[in-house]
Amino acid sequence: MSQYKIIFTGPVGAGKTTAINSISDVPPIKTDASASDMTKFRKSSTTVAMDYGVMNLPGGEKLHLYGTPGQERFDFMWDILITGGIGLILLLDNTRADPFQDMRFFLDTFDKFVSDTAVAIGVTQMDLSAKPTIEDYHVQLQGMGLKPPVFAVDARVKSDVSLLVQALLYTLDPGLEG
Amino acid sequence: MDKTKSPLKVALYGMDGRSYKMMSMYLQGPCRGAAVVVNDINAECDIFDADTINGQQLLQEHLANKVQRPLIVLSLHEQQQEHIIAVKKPVKTDEMLAALAKAREQALKPQTKPIANTAMASDASAQSKVIDREVSTAADNDEAPKEAQLKRYVIDSDEQKKSSKHQAAMQLNEKGFGSFIGTLTGIDVNDPKQFARAYYNPKEFFQGYVDSAFKVSRSKGQVRQLNSGWNPLIIFPQTDEVWLDVDESQLRAFAGLAINKTLGEKMTVTPLPQDSVNSERALEGFYSMDAFMWKIACWASKGRYPVTIDIKQPVYIKHWPNFTRLLVTPHALRIAALLVQGPRTLDNVAEVLNIKPQYVFVFISAASALGLAGQVKREADVLVQSPEVKSNKNKGLLSRILSVLRGKKA
Repeated sequence: MSQYKIIFTGPVGAGKTTAINSISDVPPIKTDASASDMTKFRKSSTTVAMDYGVMNLPGGEKLHLYGTPGQERFDFMWDILITGGIGLILLLDNTRADPFQDMRFFLDTFDKFVSDTAVAIGVTQMDLSAKPTIEDYHVQLQGMGLKPPVFAVDARVKSDVSLLVQALLYTLDPGLEG
Repeated sequence: MDKTKSPLKVALYGMDGRSYKMMSMYLQGPCRGAAVVVNDINAECDIFDADTINGQQLLQEHLANKVQRPLIVLSLHEQQQEHIIAVKKPVKTDEMLAALAKAREQALKPQTKPIANTAMASDASAQSKVIDREVSTAADNDEAPKEAQLKRYVIDSDEQKKSSKHQAAMQLNEKGFGSFIGTLTGIDVNDPKQFARAYYNPKEFFQGYVDSAFKVSRSKGQVRQLNSGWNPLIIFPQTDEVWLDVDESQLRAFAGLAINKTLGEKMTVTPLPQDSVNSERALEGFYSMDAFMWKIACWASKGRYPVTIDIKQPVYIKHWPNFTRLLVTPHALRIAALLVQGPRTLDNVAEVLNIKPQYVFVFISAASALGLAGQVKREADVLVQSPEVKSNKNKGLLSRILSVLRGKKA
């Protein structure tokens, strides 16, 4: 049986693990390790290899949900992870110093994969930092010649993550009927 | 305000930008909002990280100042000082909650000693605090890409409680659409022969008055009030919010009615007196301006298209709407995905997607209300054919994924 997967990427703390957890049918498998800058408080560990979740589909098929590690030093894994992927979910943390720089970095990194498939962008932490706005993201993206879906997302909320993934699928084929 | 139920207001010390943010999120998430970070003037409790380079020094200075409010100290080491609430690292949620409960208890005790230079927090409602935090670059060496030095963000417990503004989108299915949107008499908007008159004029509905009021308020940069002889709508252009104290069924009924001349003459937009701008308001009455406008446009449309759209000319959308914060009408995502690719006539959209035209009309009404929809006007534009919609090679798989996701609205 073929391996179908959706890739979740973005900087550290953008909510990749949480987003996968929101729509996975099984508790996500994490490959976390302690991180020197995060041991103190909430996040005693960070993802160093990948997160993994599964959605069970009718007929016994499975959709695999992979989250990339945010750290650059693990970027050798990114190519392996995206092989066979049907699309990319890019999560951006709006409280980071320069989320546009993050966005450009990940879109550049996954440039070929995105041009072969599609991308949908979720902006997290907008209740903490309202700027840049979703409109600002579109302005940046249009400068890059892209028009992907960009939604404000709370990665803990299943319907937010679900809508983002649905938008990704409709970008691949607007004629789909769910 | 009931102090036993509201979050404890805490100030953080000795933490770099990342730690500060982590702690703020930790208090909101795992600690379930038991405390909220504010600046030191409004705090009821202080939390120190004693293990950072300047943490100990700050702590000693703080103790020397004899600030009369509870003090929680986080450290890997045992803390010997009296009158502190020590939490050993790594911080465990149960221990942190116990420390916060103890701090709350102390904060509620009547003060017997003079209050030091940083006063006990007033009971006034928390205001937005824009905080500059220096982001530690040393701690972020692992991240891609590197961060810049400064980031401003808002920590505001009230902001996060504006459920009407932040809540996930409501998704309507075809079954619920009619009853939610309302019905029309005397016209079948799905009959191609009646398309020519399946329009409505937004200016004749609450939508049009709200649109004018938004424009005035934004251009003046001023909080304004739309008076309609009904409940006033207050517009906050700086935060892109509106406030209205009515329940949704009342709003739906009002938005769906054409406004007659008599009522229209009563509609005025006036500046809100300064002393009323900062009045306390029920948080559930706040909406984002976009979400509010989108919704009342749907209710005014009832499945018709706006008169500003020429039914014979192709339309396009500038970009995807922010669907997670908007009312999602049936097939709205599919319509957006198609129209973002290039211009099409509304009936062509319905035909390509094999859906009833009313779903396309209501979508374009809402998208037009937000200024997202445009129409090609030149003949040359019409000659540019929209790309053919090709089925994805994994269509069957994608449809199965969609059916699962749509069953998981949550």
